[in-house]
Amino acid sequence: MPRWMPSVSAIPPAVMIGLVGLPVFAAIYAGLVAGDGATWAHILENRLTPYTLTTLATLILAAIMMLGLAVPAAWMISQHDFPGRAFFSWALILPLAMPGYVMAYAWADLMGVAGPLQSQIRAVTGLTAREYWFPNLFTVPGLAFVLASTLFPYVYITARAAFSMQSLATLDAARSLGARPLDLFWRVALPVAMPAILGGLCLALMEAAADYGAADFLGIQTLGVGIVRSWTSFGEPNTAARLALMLIALAAILLVTARLYQGQKGLHQTSTQWRTPGRTQLPRPIAVAATLLCAMILIICFVAPVLRLLWLASQSATRTVDLAPLIKSTLALGVLGTSGAFIAALIFTLAAKRTQTMKLATRLIAAAGYAAPGAVLGLGALFILRETGQALTGGIAITLLIWIYISRFTSAGVEPMQAALDRLPRNLDNAARSLGSKGVRQFFAVDFPLIAPGAFAAGLILFVEILKELPATLMLRPFGWDTLAVKAHAYATDERLAQATLPSLLIVFAGLAPVLLLSWRLSQTERA
Amino acid sequence: MTHRTRIIAGLSLLVGAVSACSNPSETTAADPTAEAPRVLTLYSSRHYDSDKTLYAMFEEATGATLDVREAGASQLLETMKAEGDQSPADIVLAADAGSLWRFKDAGLTQALNSDTLNALVPANYRAADGHWYGVSRRMRGIAYDPNRWTADDLAQWPMLAAEDKAGEICVRSSSNIYNLSLMGELIHRLGSEAAQDWATAIVANMARNPQGGDTDQIRAIAAGECSIAIVNHYYWVRLGASDSAADQQVAASTAFLFPEFSDGSGSHVNITGAAITATADDLALAEEFLAFLLTETGQTYLTTETKELPLIAGAPLPDGVDALPSFTPSDTALDIYGQNQAEAQRLFDLAGWN
Repeated sequence: MPRWMPSVSAIPPAVMIGLVGLPVFAAIYAGLVAGDGATWAHILENRLTPYTLTTLATLILAAIMMLGLAVPAAWMISQHDFPGRAFFSWALILPLAMPGYVMAYAWADLMGVAGPLQSQIRAVTGLTAREYWFPNLFTVPGLAFVLASTLFPYVYITARAAFSMQSLATLDAARSLGARPLDLFWRVALPVAMPAILGGLCLALMEAAADYGAADFLGIQTLGVGIVRSWTSFGEPNTAARLALMLIALAAILLVTARLYQGQKGLHQTSTQWRTPGRTQLPRPIAVAATLLCAMILIICFVAPVLRLLWLASQSATRTVDLAPLIKSTLALGVLGTSGAFIAALIFTLAAKRTQTMKLATRLIAAAGYAAPGAVLGLGALFILRETGQALTGGIAITLLIWIYISRFTSAGVEPMQAALDRLPRNLDNAARSLGSKGVRQFFAVDFPLIAPGAFAAGLILFVEILKELPATLMLRPFGWDTLAVKAHAYATDERLAQATLPSLLIVFAGLAPVLLLSWRLSQTERA
Repeated sequence: MTHRTRIIAGLSLLVGAVSACSNPSETTAADPTAEAPRVLTLYSSRHYDSDKTLYAMFEEATGATLDVREAGASQLLETMKAEGDQSPADIVLAADAGSLWRFKDAGLTQALNSDTLNALVPANYRAADGHWYGVSRRMRGIAYDPNRWTADDLAQWPMLAAEDKAGEICVRSSSNIYNLSLMGELIHRLGSEAAQDWATAIVANMARNPQGGDTDQIRAIAAGECSIAIVNHYYWVRLGASDSAADQQVAASTAFLFPEFSDGSGSHVNITGAAITATADDLALAEEFLAFLLTETGQTYLTTETKELPLIAGAPLPDGVDALPSFTPSDTALDIYGQNQAEAQRLFDLAGWN
């Protein structure tokens, strides 16, 4: 075959790159061709800098919090034994089931000036609300806390996997050279695990950057809020699309930085002995501290907000809506969206093996979708709808919505699959090739079994993400396809939080099953 | 390759199958001899369960089918723009005159000029050219701590800008449509410069950064964080009518009033309203639906759960609304809110009102 002729197997990745990228580009193209909106100059002059700085500050704080929550816990759990270790090892993934906006409702209620904590302070001390200091959730650190507490499991999962699967030889060598436990962590384990941890952190930060629900509820002026505001207040979707470019650029910078770092430091392990040496028993006081640390993380990021929501739901005497159709459409859209995004992620991951250029291209395209807020992708979908002269009903609406899910979430599928591949010694692939395995046969005989653990995690993460998705679903769902997230949002916008709690809790519970499955599976692979 | 194709083919089949059974109205033609059922497609920015009851009653009364899409007004607007001639929407139902103006401005509505509706809806609560009609009223006013202020201290919006209110005001974010419409009327009455000065003074008097919804502002008064909250009336009424004793206590410890702009100017009024879309084909049915919303039954269901005020004289008031003081409505044409909306956001941004 002449060199210039693209091989047939390049077609699926090419098609998929187009499919994933089109809504993003449609939105941006629509934003650019529509010309300057009347307020573009105002946004540029007065708002762009504060929006960007607020977003950056939120992301930096969230990154610090996520690393602080996830890395020590992952290290303790993968290396040491302490009371409750087995339980925490899976339970710390539970917060992933909480949508950011639900976490914001719950903590705003708990910490609000009229909430239980502050009311108690006033009752006990007899002070009035203006006479004492209390941490304010409606601030940039507050938003960072809300986002970090729902997204840190991404970092935890990758960190734990990286710590658990470290080459036995590396750690043994370090030990035999007399490295003490803390040295082992800082000088050996952490640098080796860093590429994987950064991958998880990147994913979490892109998700945090695209947030609208939590930031809007807490009144923090991030780019995500600015995008929606320039659309809903100024009536200028094209300005919104332009601002979205900032987020996409931010994601690209994140990804390329992580990639560069990984390229520099990423160590391809050649040993196939990934098992960690038997976990060491911690001295009693430290073991108790480890238990307390994990318990505190779990209570703050999951137990307390969920219990508060349950209590609020029990307080609401108003009749409940018929939830069955909501659950049905949530699950149906979840399954369809997951299937689509899963296939896209699989094709991307396999294509990435071909060349470094392909690897970067697929990851950047997927990241652009992941960093774009759902509302912007929804605008892209509407642009496509307009160009094709269709109405947003029935099959058209569902197809568009699934398409947007694929565009938005493929990245969340690519990262775990890629991580599974990256951990493998490169010579496995070369061996397969040298034995003449290629194409479809190589896929089923070699590639897929190798990706499988990552693919399994990818599928579950995609499902949970799509369950929680709000803006695009709100815009594109056809008649009669309200999801739990849509209903919870409807109540919350009407300021009926008590009624919003039930659908919100159902999202959390629906997300729990896949999250538990994910935890179980991760523990299995760890043991294997 | 074949496996991959099969997976994709299977997926598209699944999409087709699910979407085929997605539209319940397709299966409702029970009597084969009957004419095709009349279908009315409603795009609504309201999310109340009582609306569903109301829609069911209309379907029952007329034999027509209502397809309802609920989403934010801005999202519905973009959807309709994208759908163009293909839009199935017949009626747009949206809270806030500023929202309805946007649909009209985008050329998505048509004039109805129905004598029936014109007779029912007072002239200041509908578009002069018949492009939209109000169906219920919502008022933006002030909840306050009666131990701190008298109604005379707060009788006019400019009084909130005075220095004695420093550190006393709670209000939500400026991008909220209720704040934008209030600012729209201020711009209309005072001009941009004075309106921006007013907003700047309000920011200086805020007890805390704008956060949460209207209900949160009222709760903050009860908790002692501030003593004045700019909120829509129905949030205050709902607290008083709540099942929760704590909520009732919040309402009981606060008072409500409808400030004027200046002596005798009247108070800021807003509406929930309906517009007939440019693509609507069954105009008679659309008009029938609007007229239905303006019957005593329609008014009752529109306002019982929301605690909005009915628009039709003589319609029964929802429980709890009698706790509100009386007021004289402003005579500003409600279309002004929409026209001034972008300017309002710009001035808020400049004033530093997040």
